[in-house]
Amino acid sequence: MTLRKVIYTPDGALVTGEGGRLDRLRSVSERFARTSELVWCLFIRDFSGRYRQSILGIAWALILPLATVGVFLLMNRSGLVTLGEVGVPYPVYAMTGLTYWTLFATGVSACASCLINASSMLAKINFTRSALVFSAAAQGGVEFLIRGLLTGAVFVSFGSTPHSLALALLCTLPLFLFTLAVGFILAIVGSLLRDIINALGTLLAGLLILTPILYPVAAGSPLATLNTYNPINYLIGFPRELILYGTASMLAAFLASATFSVLLLLVGWRLFCVAQTRVVERI
Amino acid sequence: MSEEPLISVERLGKKFGKSLKHNMLYGVADLTRDFLGQSRRGATLREGEFWSLEDINFQVGRGECLGIIGPNGAGKSTLLKLLNGIIAPDQGRVEIAHRVGALIEVGAGFHPMLTGRENIFVNGAILGMSKEEIGKKFDAIVDFADIGAFIDSPVKHYSSGMYVRLGFAIAAQVEPDVLLIDEVLAVGDAGFRSKCYNCIGHLASRCAIVFVSHAMAAISRLSTRVLVLDHGRAVFHGQPPEAISCYHRLFDARVQPSRQGLGTARIHSVEFIDASGRKVRSIRQGQPLGVRLAVYSQVAITNVCLDLVFVSLADEVVAECNSQLSGMSIDLMANREIQVLALIDSFSLNAGDYRLSALVLSADMVTHYDWQKDVASLEVCADRVGVAGQQYRAQWTIEERASMDSKEAR
Repeated sequence: MTLRKVIYTPDGALVTGEGGRLDRLRSVSERFARTSELVWCLFIRDFSGRYRQSILGIAWALILPLATVGVFLLMNRSGLVTLGEVGVPYPVYAMTGLTYWTLFATGVSACASCLINASSMLAKINFTRSALVFSAAAQGGVEFLIRGLLTGAVFVSFGSTPHSLALALLCTLPLFLFTLAVGFILAIVGSLLRDIINALGTLLAGLLILTPILYPVAAGSPLATLNTYNPINYLIGFPRELILYGTASMLAAFLASATFSVLLLLVGWRLFCVAQTRVVERI
Repeated sequence: MSEEPLISVERLGKKFGKSLKHNMLYGVADLTRDFLGQSRRGATLREGEFWSLEDINFQVGRGECLGIIGPNGAGKSTLLKLLNGIIAPDQGRVEIAHRVGALIEVGAGFHPMLTGRENIFVNGAILGMSKEEIGKKFDAIVDFADIGAFIDSPVKHYSSGMYVRLGFAIAAQVEPDVLLIDEVLAVGDAGFRSKCYNCIGHLASRCAIVFVSHAMAAISRLSTRVLVLDHGRAVFHGQPPEAISCYHRLFDARVQPSRQGLGTARIHSVEFIDASGRKVRSIRQGQPLGVRLAVYSQVAITNVCLDLVFVSLADEVVAECNSQLSGMSIDLMANREIQVLALIDSFSLNAGDYRLSALVLSADMVTHYDWQKDVASLEVCADRVGVAGQQYRAQWTIEERASMDSKEAR
């Protein structure tokens, strides 16, 4: 058996000594299995590590979203939020949107700082670094599921029933790919220019207000024009309409945004692969 | 050697920026170029950059161990990172077997809140082991780490020794073709260190080892060849004893003599001489050594004390030669110089480089007339470097060779 070797040059790394195509395919699939195992391990490590040494433990994952629901219910009862007509009880509308938003916001923030948080490990161990980004994005997925359960409870308490739930969940995939794409880009850019991480919280809060997530935007308003070019608008709006009304109006825009997400993911992935060693030596 | 080398390094170079700001700007510029698929302009230095490593060449085959030594900042850790693929070269190339194990600050990636058991699985996965593989080796890891019931406590409650033991135990199970070691043997207690040596010795026959250390005893024991780095360049590549002396000579230029004391009596010159009376700067371990001093005094001092102190590279006072403790009485006359020779029968300090401080003291050793620090330096040569500061060349004889039977009968 020929010895597998790696060659490092200024233009990147190259693996040699993999015999035929079959051999290469096997090594790729082996690497894929290894990486997914690593992603899972890192995810479990961060998830279970986070809630140890706190009295409430895993309950924290439920408490924060519950508090959000409480605030919304309170605001709704007090008549503070009377924004447009959405066809369903407002909390149902807002919570569904927020659930989707959490997937994006939590995932993106976790990705942006994942390389910096692992800096000591990155500087000492050679491992598949993209696993850090995948496991960070998965945190968004978990938050999404936990909030999804609470949103379900809100549906029940307002007597609403979700439509086409399975289809809507399937249509969440493009949003996840978009999160991953932005995550890859921010992981790299954020660790070179740390300003981005400092500004990210504010940027996300601003984006939440500008994107029609907590309220519908009146057609023809400047904000609506702005949101025509906002992929998150469609990536969240489309599955939400499926859940709330069973039909959705923006299929073409949604498909375009989904395609855009896939392309962006390819770009982000390439950026990450090309830039990772550059970043590690500067972290 | 019939097999091709497991590591081959050609014209390897790596540059770094001196300031954070340059680092950031060049980082973004390089990234853009890489992303657009343009080749790197690696060979030239930009403003504020320097070569951390330049023009490094070597090969290491199976069963060989290359020791890497050099002063701080010589580029040793950078070289290990390049070999490990953590950072990319700016020049030249590294060709290395795929399965590389690294004992470099072990325990990186441990989560403080998770238990030792959980961390074994996470760390193993980070190091490239599959879950079944770790499961199979779990007992061996726990056994090696020797942390007993602490295996189910969060690692943040571990002592630093336990932390390192667990990290090493996991890393040692990777079964690599190439093993990179950086100073890990400097930590842990004696028992653990001997375990580490045995483990490395076990791996040494079937992998190529690259070993960075400041401990010359370890370098001399483990290495088959040694590369000496200084300011990013290879200044020597060859057998351990010569490499170690080359390393020691690097420090000679950095010795800055300094002088304190009243100055009424002064040491004018200090030189080392060998058994035949020749002036030397290095001697073989165990040979006689003479130190010749010229002492001048402006006033008469009776029963003066001359003190010679040997200091190691690590700034430890390792030996002393004191005229009073030898029972010698020396009187200085006004405006006269005297020549003194101190002869040591068998100079048995461990192989290495030493600096000499020479003092002229009053009889009660309180008043310092002259105190010259690092006034001369001396190299002690030997084929192997020992662990302890003093190396006695005892007379070894075998007094009895008992047979197995008679031993058991006892």
